[in-house]
Amino acid sequence: MSITRYGFRDVISGFFEFPTDNARRVLPRGIEPFELHHGTSIFAVIIFDFDESEVGEYGEVVYAVIVPPLVREGRLPQSAMFPWQVATTTKAAREHAIERWHLPHWMEDVEVEFLREKSRMTAKVKAEGAPALEMTVYEHSWQPVSHLYQSFQKDDSGSYLASILFEGDKSEHEDEKGRIVLHDSPFNRDLVLSEVYETPFREQWMRKGCQLFDPLLKL
Amino acid sequence: MEAAQKQAAEKSGFSEYDYSNFYYGAGDDPINLLRPYADWYREARPNGYYLYQEALGSAPTTHVRVKNGSTGAWQDLLNLASYNYLGISYRPEVKAAAVAAVEKYGLGASGSPILSGTFDVHEEFTAELARFKDKEACIVFPTGYSANVGFISALMRSGDTIFLDQYSHASIVDGAILAKSKTIFFRHNNPLDLERKLANVKGKKLVVVEGVYSMDGDMCALPEILEVTKRHGARMLIDEAHSTFLFGPNGRGVAEHFGLDKEVDFHLGTFSKSLGGQGGFVAGTKDLIDYVMAFGRSRFFSCNLSPVLTAGLLAALRIAASEPQLRARLWSNVAYLRRRFAEEGIDIGKSNSQVMPVMVNNDAKVFAVAEKIQNRGLFLNPVTFPAVPKHKSRLRISVSAAHTEEDLEQAVKVIGGALREEGICR
Repeated sequence: MSITRYGFRDVISGFFEFPTDNARRVLPRGIEPFELHHGTSIFAVIIFDFDESEVGEYGEVVYAVIVPPLVREGRLPQSAMFPWQVATTTKAAREHAIERWHLPHWMEDVEVEFLREKSRMTAKVKAEGAPALEMTVYEHSWQPVSHLYQSFQKDDSGSYLASILFEGDKSEHEDEKGRIVLHDSPFNRDLVLSEVYETPFREQWMRKGCQLFDPLLKL
Repeated sequence: MEAAQKQAAEKSGFSEYDYSNFYYGAGDDPINLLRPYADWYREARPNGYYLYQEALGSAPTTHVRVKNGSTGAWQDLLNLASYNYLGISYRPEVKAAAVAAVEKYGLGASGSPILSGTFDVHEEFTAELARFKDKEACIVFPTGYSANVGFISALMRSGDTIFLDQYSHASIVDGAILAKSKTIFFRHNNPLDLERKLANVKGKKLVVVEGVYSMDGDMCALPEILEVTKRHGARMLIDEAHSTFLFGPNGRGVAEHFGLDKEVDFHLGTFSKSLGGQGGFVAGTKDLIDYVMAFGRSRFFSCNLSPVLTAGLLAALRIAASEPQLRARLWSNVAYLRRRFAEEGIDIGKSNSQVMPVMVNNDAKVFAVAEKIQNRGLFLNPVTFPAVPKHKSRLRISVSAAHTEEDLEQAVKVIGGALREEGICR
């Protein structure tokens, strides 16, 4: 199978500190969290505005834990993640991602609204018709990048690894300007909301780029 | 190799990675990360990482001989990197005391402090140190690192909770790990965040702060943080590694500076900074010190400080205690350099101490700037991610009482020139 390409207008992500106890509750046995500090793991929220894919345009929200990458022959990835909840704005996108990538999904469509301002981007997400989260990230300097990441998936059929190349213009900083509001929603049922620090220690924003997925590797 | 990996490999460059990429790696072999790290480091070192761990060929006075990590050539440089804040380590009295001690005791202690490694000079030193700190007793450790690791793990246990500033030194974090206590980090110098995290936590609680934080050179917001700590029934440890012998009317540290010396529960410091030696200590009640003597494993299971070093430290302590003019001279130098940096538009962040970060704020340029500065006669260290946040890279300066105004002017001229050439300051 060849590379699968997803073009995006924007992707924003925030890395938030949350307790390793919480990370372990969402990780399957055998996958360890990458700890930022002793006892503190990294909750990554990634929100995509895809404008090109096999299933058309759609929005996607990913809740993930940053985990150690698998070291193999070839280039070392920038980082790796275990997505434990993925939500999309369309049924077609959801079915495609479950079938091809074995990603664990929120099984209803969500609404994602992107608010672009001069130096910041906000994404508002609704699930079941009610606000689930709002995340704002701020820009820094922009650089064209080609970064490799890994994503681990696990479902009843087995464990999988996706190698994903992100290409496009990227802004990244640790200025602690952004913010997340996590609402009391079933969408956030796996989180202890009071224990997620509301300011991301790292904010990333990519625009006018693409994700290139290698064929899924069964582990 | 798969397609995405192959495409990525073709665009690989050392600057895309840093130390943080080589800390964790999944797989079945613990040496899996050695090869990728070696490949990266082979490229990174000549591109700037050679500026770390350069060998010195002289005493850490205001001027040092440094073996250039890239060329191997010796350079005579103005020293802005050593912790020798009071210029004591090479004082004739200190060297004479160490020489006399090596004649009397030989090289090392040859034993654990609780068995055969305690000498008369250790007892004399700890007694004088306790008097200096105005505490009942003191206990010394082989290093500052082992002081934090040993003290925190001596006092705290599984089921307890330790609250650490997010910029805590690695030795404090490692002490908390060894204690097996729950560890909660609060935002740097932020009493409101500490309060939020202390609320509703039951059981034994320890809050750990530092007098001066070593990467930003900012003082602890001690009055506010201590008030929150006490209100929630927690105890406080202050690590005065960079502030003992410098701050306060008697040089006891930041706690004394704020008039809170008696309110802070536990006091820790080092001898590697202002005394220019090596080792760490805890000062407090006799009961506390007796307990740490019994349960401080990093001390108990290490060889004691060399009596030679201890004799030198004793002489250094007497100088620090009896010559307040050294502190005055240091603070005069700090004020001078701060004013001159401001006049030149050089950003030193939040520093209000003798540790000054010259902010470069550009991870890609920091090594080039540091290299240029070294080649123009200054010895200082670049600091970049992950030691500090991304894009907060800096050059760290340690001011000494021994620096002359001419030294400081040279520093301003060289640093300002290099930063302007790179478009980092006006």
